[in-house]
Amino acid sequence: MADPLAAMAAAITMAGTGIATAWTQKIVGGATVGAMAEKPELFGRGLVLMALPETIVVFGLVIALQLLTKVAAP
Amino acid sequence: MSRALIAGPRDKLPQSIEVLHELKLIHIVDHHGEDDTFHIGKPLSPAAELSDNLVKLRSIASILAIKAPPKERERIRIEELRQKVLSLELNISEEDAARKKAEGLLGDLERRIDELRPFASIGLPLEAYRGYESLTVIVGRVPRDVSGFEEAMPVAEVFRGPGVVAVFAPKAASEQALALLAQSGFTLVDIPAGEGSPQALLDVAVADRDKWKARLEEIQGRLEKMRERYAGFVVAAEEALEVEVDKAEAPLRFAVSDHSFVIDGWVPSSGFKALQTRMEGLGIYVESGEPQEAREEEAPPVLLRNPKPARPFEFLIHLYSTPSYHELDPTLFLFIAAPFFFGFMIGDVGYGALFVALGVVAAIRLDPKSIWWRILFVTAVGGVWSVLFGLLVFGEAFGLPFHPPPAHLEELSWESFGLFVPIPTLIHKAFGIGDMIYLSILFAALHLGTGYIIGFVNEVHHSKRHALAKLGWFMCLFGLFTLLTFSLRWNPIARWVWDVPLGWFPRMIEPLGLRGFLGVEIPFASLILILGALLGLFESVIAPIEVASLLANIMSYMRLAGIGIGKAAIASAFNVILLQNLILTGQIGFVIMGVAFLILAQMLVFLLGWISAGIQALRLNYMEAFIKFYKGNGIPFRPFGAQGTQEV
Repeated sequence: MADPLAAMAAAITMAGTGIATAWTQKIVGGATVGAMAEKPELFGRGLVLMALPETIVVFGLVIALQLLTKVAAP
Repeated sequence: MSRALIAGPRDKLPQSIEVLHELKLIHIVDHHGEDDTFHIGKPLSPAAELSDNLVKLRSIASILAIKAPPKERERIRIEELRQKVLSLELNISEEDAARKKAEGLLGDLERRIDELRPFASIGLPLEAYRGYESLTVIVGRVPRDVSGFEEAMPVAEVFRGPGVVAVFAPKAASEQALALLAQSGFTLVDIPAGEGSPQALLDVAVADRDKWKARLEEIQGRLEKMRERYAGFVVAAEEALEVEVDKAEAPLRFAVSDHSFVIDGWVPSSGFKALQTRMEGLGIYVESGEPQEAREEEAPPVLLRNPKPARPFEFLIHLYSTPSYHELDPTLFLFIAAPFFFGFMIGDVGYGALFVALGVVAAIRLDPKSIWWRILFVTAVGGVWSVLFGLLVFGEAFGLPFHPPPAHLEELSWESFGLFVPIPTLIHKAFGIGDMIYLSILFAALHLGTGYIIGFVNEVHHSKRHALAKLGWFMCLFGLFTLLTFSLRWNPIARWVWDVPLGWFPRMIEPLGLRGFLGVEIPFASLILILGALLGLFESVIAPIEVASLLANIMSYMRLAGIGIGKAAIASAFNVILLQNLILTGQIGFVIMGVAFLILAQMLVFLLGWISAGIQALRLNYMEAFIKFYKGNGIPFRPFGAQGTQEV
């Protein structure tokens, strides 16, 4: 079983990066939908911009897993 | 594609357009430049009349509310069309005017009835509300009874109806009366025009309304009959007219002089001979030019040609961007990678089989041209991968594993229900996180590596420097991959990859007495390979910084593991809660409730998996892989005469 402190740290990492991603996507998504209403051919570029912030939460996932496996294991 | 230049005498223009329209082979390049000899052509003579008819037909279609194409279509003769459209328009516009009049009158009558109703319940004649010099008359609706009004304002006289109140008060006290009424939620209503008993007026209005309602229904019935009778004609005529207008207006895209015309366009090389033979039969001259000889600034349009199973995936490419003429079509790449990733993320026999079943239903029930047909086909291919992964790797159906994990034999599995699947489970999603993550990195390396190879092939004819940069990035990727494999070799899969497929890789860790890099043990060959990114300098000056972004790209594939595990965890949580707490208790009430909830929960997991795995599988291709090699911005091939292009 993982160290409780490491488990909490992992949870906080996931929550923080998750919120950060959501916040960014809210802004980008709103702007993208607005732009697509004007020019539907911007879909591809919009999707790319929309997906960019996801990197934050993926990094969060990596750090969380590191915390759980590396730090917790003696 | 071949460039085709078609030139002929002007009097043969109509026949030429007819033939080109029928062949559906040429993608016309519009003539823009005005010069002294060649101008933009004028529409053929019937264009104005045809457009006029088309506008009339569209208005008829909108009045009749014809939406879906009817099953039977009439054969249309353009020569008879004008007469038929005119008579139909006459009939329908009469009915339409009658309908509009009836609807307007009905609206007026409804308003009148609403106005009169409160006054009818009070009972005073309408003239009693008007014509006072010293009195003010306040009438309105009240949600609750205004009790105690008379006591508070003895000077006023009050008449009541159900939910209505009329107050006659001296002008000076009108403010006070309104304030008192406001306490009961009073809203003012206007006093309707007219004289006499409001009840009698109301009865007349209601009778009128009923009469007009019946008349409107009659008109609508006639319009309905007309729709049934003429829908086939209207739809077929609209289609036929669109074709004719397209033909008649085609000269607007040609270069025309006083006595000749020139049509410029692109023809698929395989179809050029056919076009030339047909046109020369008319006495028209056709010249071909190879794309290289054509003007550089105008790239040829792109017609995607793929094996049949990959064709439904083309819409996903157009959604991103149509490939340019000078690069490889990435449809096959997407056809293999996207469903594979989808299958890995779902990794479940049950859900996979459902996706395949949905695809089969779509193939039978839907029109192959519809967007849903294509979406369901794409997910069905993902479903096949999902069944394979679920059966051979993850051993899981509907979120429940075939066998309990070795160290947790008490966990629920299909074996608990007496179903024994004789296939060993290679990875238990919940307990093989390391395996899942390493596999994600492995897929990342394969996917991105293929991307760089395609990029190299794209660039090698174009720019040797850019091709070299792609090679450098490929080396860098391989370096990062070997480094990650080396440092993750505590995982059995990584260990195997490091020892067997990468057995030849030089693993010198301590050259010149150096122990690793910054205190971390690493194979030096990997470091040297990562320096391959310096070749990226041929492409852009910031190339060395982008090594970090390449690492981020590889990390990004961990979403494969993340979603795979996450989806399985949600499904297994639902299964455990509902099976253990409700269904396996054996009490009939709980069992029925449990089964109902379980079906709902499974549907939820299925839909969530579909959306998230589908979007992420596409995203990894669009975002991580395509930007490594794919430029897009091509023009889709739209031959003259073809209706309904591949637009999404």
